[in-house]
This record gives sequence, C-alpha cells and structure tokens, in this order.
Amino acid sequence: MMLDRRRLLTSALTLGAMHAFPGLSLAQARPLVFATFTGSWEEAHKAVLVPAFRKANGDAPIVLDPMLSVDQIAKVNAAKASPPIDVMLHDPGPALVAIGQDLVEPYPADKSTHFKDLIPEAQDAMGPAPFFQVVGLTYNPETVKTPPTSWADLWKPEFKGKVGITNLNSTLGTGWLVEIARMRGGSEANVDEGFKALEELKPNLAAVAANPGALATLFQQGQIDISPGNFNAIQILKARGVPVEFVAPKEGAIAFKTTIHVVKNSPNKELAFKLIEAALSPEVQTTLMNSPYLIVPTNTKVAMSGEIAKVLAKDTAELKKKFVFQDWKKINEQRASWIEKFNRDIKI
Amino acid sequence: MKSATTARITAPGDVTSFNLGLALPLGVAFAIFFVLPLAQLLYLSLHNDTAATVWGLGQYIKFLTDPFSLAVLGSTLLLGAEVTLACLVLGYPIAWLYQRSGSRLQTLIIMIVLLPLLTSVVVRTFAWIVILGRQGIINSVLQSLGLIGTPLRMIYTQGGLVAALAQVQMPLMVLPLITAIGRIDPNLSDASASLGAGSWRTFFKVMLPLSMPGIIAGCTLTYAAAITAFITQSLVGGGQMLFMPMYLYQQASTLQNWPFAAAISIIFLFAVLAIVALFSTLGRRARGYGDAR
Repeated sequence: MMLDRRRLLTSALTLGAMHAFPGLSLAQARPLVFATFTGSWEEAHKAVLVPAFRKANGDAPIVLDPMLSVDQIAKVNAAKASPPIDVMLHDPGPALVAIGQDLVEPYPADKSTHFKDLIPEAQDAMGPAPFFQVVGLTYNPETVKTPPTSWADLWKPEFKGKVGITNLNSTLGTGWLVEIARMRGGSEANVDEGFKALEELKPNLAAVAANPGALATLFQQGQIDISPGNFNAIQILKARGVPVEFVAPKEGAIAFKTTIHVVKNSPNKELAFKLIEAALSPEVQTTLMNSPYLIVPTNTKVAMSGEIAKVLAKDTAELKKKFVFQDWKKINEQRASWIEKFNRDIKI
Repeated sequence: MKSATTARITAPGDVTSFNLGLALPLGVAFAIFFVLPLAQLLYLSLHNDTAATVWGLGQYIKFLTDPFSLAVLGSTLLLGAEVTLACLVLGYPIAWLYQRSGSRLQTLIIMIVLLPLLTSVVVRTFAWIVILGRQGIINSVLQSLGLIGTPLRMIYTQGGLVAALAQVQMPLMVLPLITAIGRIDPNLSDASASLGAGSWRTFFKVMLPLSMPGIIAGCTLTYAAAITAFITQSLVGGGQMLFMPMYLYQQASTLQNWPFAAAISIIFLFAVLAIVALFSTLGRRARGYGDAR
C-alpha cells in the first residue's frame, strides 16, 4: 500500500473522529451510566455505591457522569430514544419535571428486595429515595452562645445584620420559605405569610446568597453567624475546621428526598435496577451514614448511629417525628411566581 | 509540466486577493457551533409556552413591557459602564507608565498585568471575598486604625462588585492600551510641548485622541466581560442583586422556562451589540478627530 499524503490524512481524520465520537466504535454495549451529583455526592458514590454494585454484579462496567439535575434532564431530553444516561439522581423539584416530561420508568417495586423496607415517604413508584437531605439551622458556636432552637430565632434582635439566607433558585431556599410560611399559618399553596416574615427579617439580613454553597463561604468569612443550612454541607465545613454547628429546629428539620430513577428507553435497564437496589440496601446506606459521608438513610433496617443519631434522630420513628416533608408538586405549581416576587421585593 | 511551472511564476496571483479556502475550517466550526445554536435559540424564543409548541412573540412582549425585567437589563448595562470607567481610569496610567519605563520595569509591569489572567476567575473572585468580608483585610485594617467601630458591609454591595470586577477584568483594558500608546510617536508630545502646550493640553489634544483605538478596544472587551461575568456577579454581588446572567440562569435552570430564557438571551445579545456598535462609532469619529489635528 502506498502511503501518500492523502491516505495519511484520511486515516488521521478517521482516528480523530473515532476519538471525538467514541459512539462510532462502541457498537451497542455501553457501560451503565449513572449521573450522580458533583462534589461530595460523587465522592461518596465512587467510594461506596459503585464498589458495592460491582461486587454484587460480577464487575459489571459502570461509569459515573456527575452533573446537575437540570443538565441530566436536558441530556436525556435531547436523545429520548437512546438516552446517554441510565440512572438519574434528582432533588424533589427536578424529579417532578423529569416525571412530567416522561423521561423515567416506574420502579419495578414488586421484584425489589429493599423497596418495602424504606420508610413510606421514600417509597415513590416512579423512583425511590435512597437518601434524604436535611435542612435545619446552622450557626457559629463562637459568636452564638445559646444554640438556636426554632426558625423564629432568626428574627431575634441580637442577630441584627448576622443572618444569611439563599434566594429561591435553590431547593433549600424555596423549601425554607415554605417552612417559615407554615410556621405562620401558611402552606405549600400559600406562602404570603412567608414573604411577610421575610420583610420583617430584613434588618437582620446580612446576605442573600446566590446558592447554598456561597453560604459556606460567608460563614468562613464571618459575614454571617446564623442561617438555614444543609446538614451535609455543614459537616464538610466542620471537617475543614470552620466553627459551625447544625441544629434541627423544634418545628422540624426540612427533609428533601433525593430520588433515583431508571431512565426511559435505557439499554441497561436491568443493571440500572441493580444499581438502585444497591443504593437502597442497608449495607450501602449504613456505610454512607457513617463518617465522613453522614448521608441520612431511608431504609428502616439501618440502625442510626454516630453524628446522625446524635444530631438528627436515633431511629426511623424519631426521624419521622422530627422531619418535615413538603409537597413539591404543590410548590412547583407556584414556584415561578414566588421567584419573581422574591426578585422584586427582597433588596437589602 | 514545465510550461505550467513557468506559467505560475510568470503570472503570480493577485496579492490583494485572498483564498477563502483557508478560512473554511474555522468558518464551518463557527457555523455549526455558533450560528446554528444561535438560530435554535432564536427559534426557541419565538414560542409562547414553556413546551415550545405555540408560536408567538409573547416572551419578548413579557420582557419589554415588564418594568422589573427592564430594570434588570438597565442595572446590568450600568454595572458594565461603571466597571469599564473604573478600568479605564485605573488602567490608563499603567499603560502610560509602561511606555515610559525601561525594559526591566516593562517586564515587571507586564507580569503584574498578566498575573491575574494566569489564575482562574473563581480564585480571583474568592480573593475579593476575603478582602472585602466582615473580617476581611480592609475591615480589619480600618478597625485596628480605629477609623471604624463596626465592620463596613462591602461584599454583596454594588461598590464591592464594581471593585472586584474592575480588578478581574483589568488586563483586558490595559493590554490594548499598551499597544495603542506604544504606536504613538514620542516626538509628537515633545513637538506639542515645544509649541507651548502644557502637559495637560498635550495629553488631551495629542495623546488621548491618538490612543483612542486602544481605549475603544479596551472598553469593548472590558464591558462585554463585565456584564456577562456570572461567577463574580453571583459570588461578590450575592443573591439579591439580580443581573441578566443570573436572571437567565434562574429562568433556564430553576424554572425550566427555556423560551423566556432564550428571549432574555436574545434581548441581552442585542443590547450588548448596540453598546459595542456605539463604541465603534465613537472609535471611528475619534479616529477622524485624531487625523484632523
């Protein structure tokens, strides 16, 4: 064969194309793709969930492709017939969007070993919740000597110019608004009281962060001393030596289900089911509950221990008593108008 | 074969013509990765419902008749103007100094100007949070000097944001200025001085008009970078100061209202294009002004 310039160029282009579009060379069988969240979730899943899944399924190939819920939905939407993701992970709001857009399969609960062991709130037919995210009060123990006990403490005059909140872009911000509305007689369908309460909070507000991650920075910089916060995010800060403590308010800590779903038309449905089973199993949930992950379990067979037992709940019965669940279907209906109102009214 | 070679030698191509073929790869890439998505964005924005099934101008009407949305656009454009002005006022002397320094100092200045570009914008922005924070450098210095009792609130304020953005975008202003000022014949200011003009007069009548191309280029770059700086705007500006990039993100990401988000992008794009066009018109007029004198 003559190796002329043209032929070399063609081969180079082909090789380049195969590199750029790996789908060309991979005929059908691709590994199971699990879109987890970025950051501490990815770390936890890589270290615990993936090895457990591999061990139970003869080293089945699996790829973690961490991205935000919104990106997961956009990617699957762009190729509904052959989705590039097999298993999605969602917060309550995006989960409803994914279900509403017909992107996920119902979970085959009848052939599941662990589904019936989950607490009832986690048994969602369209995709169970393997974990909770918990939102309570976060404070700096060096400046706040008496630990807060209620959401209402944020309005105390002693916290003038010390309170941080997030805007409603985040699940945390929206969930918290609903909770303070509830505290004053409102509900998921009516947060007017919550907005009134926000108005009264203004003298105390030091910062409205653009996202929950920014709250962490504000604590580190001493910009705020108290705020609503995510239990897991606080544990990470604490581990880094930032003086922060988490406390569940007496009204109840807000619990968000993180649900896991089999993507519709996935070529790896069976493996996807197996991965979710692993995520629901008491073994994986127990490991993830312990330090350093401290992820709140949903399987009733997991015995609570460590920091979670100390700060949140000793067992599932107490957990159900101390946690507040919200109706995100109702919240989603009006979230757009709340965000608009927040944009307009909350200026400090 | 021989005749063909001679023909090529005897009839060289017109040196003023150019071969479009060489621009083809970049052109195709532009068409696929820029023009096509832009067309898709426009298509999406011309729908009245979130599922993009009903055609209409509803999203544009919604934005352009809503005082709140217009205020967001206005404050974004104003933020860009403030940052650009700050960069120009602070950056011009640096570029000036550069041209009047020895080569060793020039290397140092260029290093200092370029250094911020070598770190990520996220790192630079976090540095500003540390500087401006309640227990930050500025507040602790002022407090230890006894000038203030309680810490000043600087992050999550417009002033803090302008300062941070001005530093983050400074290289975009200084580099074009250095080039433009370098092209000015140093004899011109001497001539101006020998003809009796004071140093301020020389600056305003000679140096400033001649460095106008650099000013225009620097302003355009800084302006475009400042108004689209999503990271710095959200980290130093916070969640209650709403600018176009965050507004867009909110609509697209949190609310999944893609048609409205698309309309916001298109409106934002045209607003920025208008400003850039204004800059380049000013630039052309300034060049005429420079030539005339």
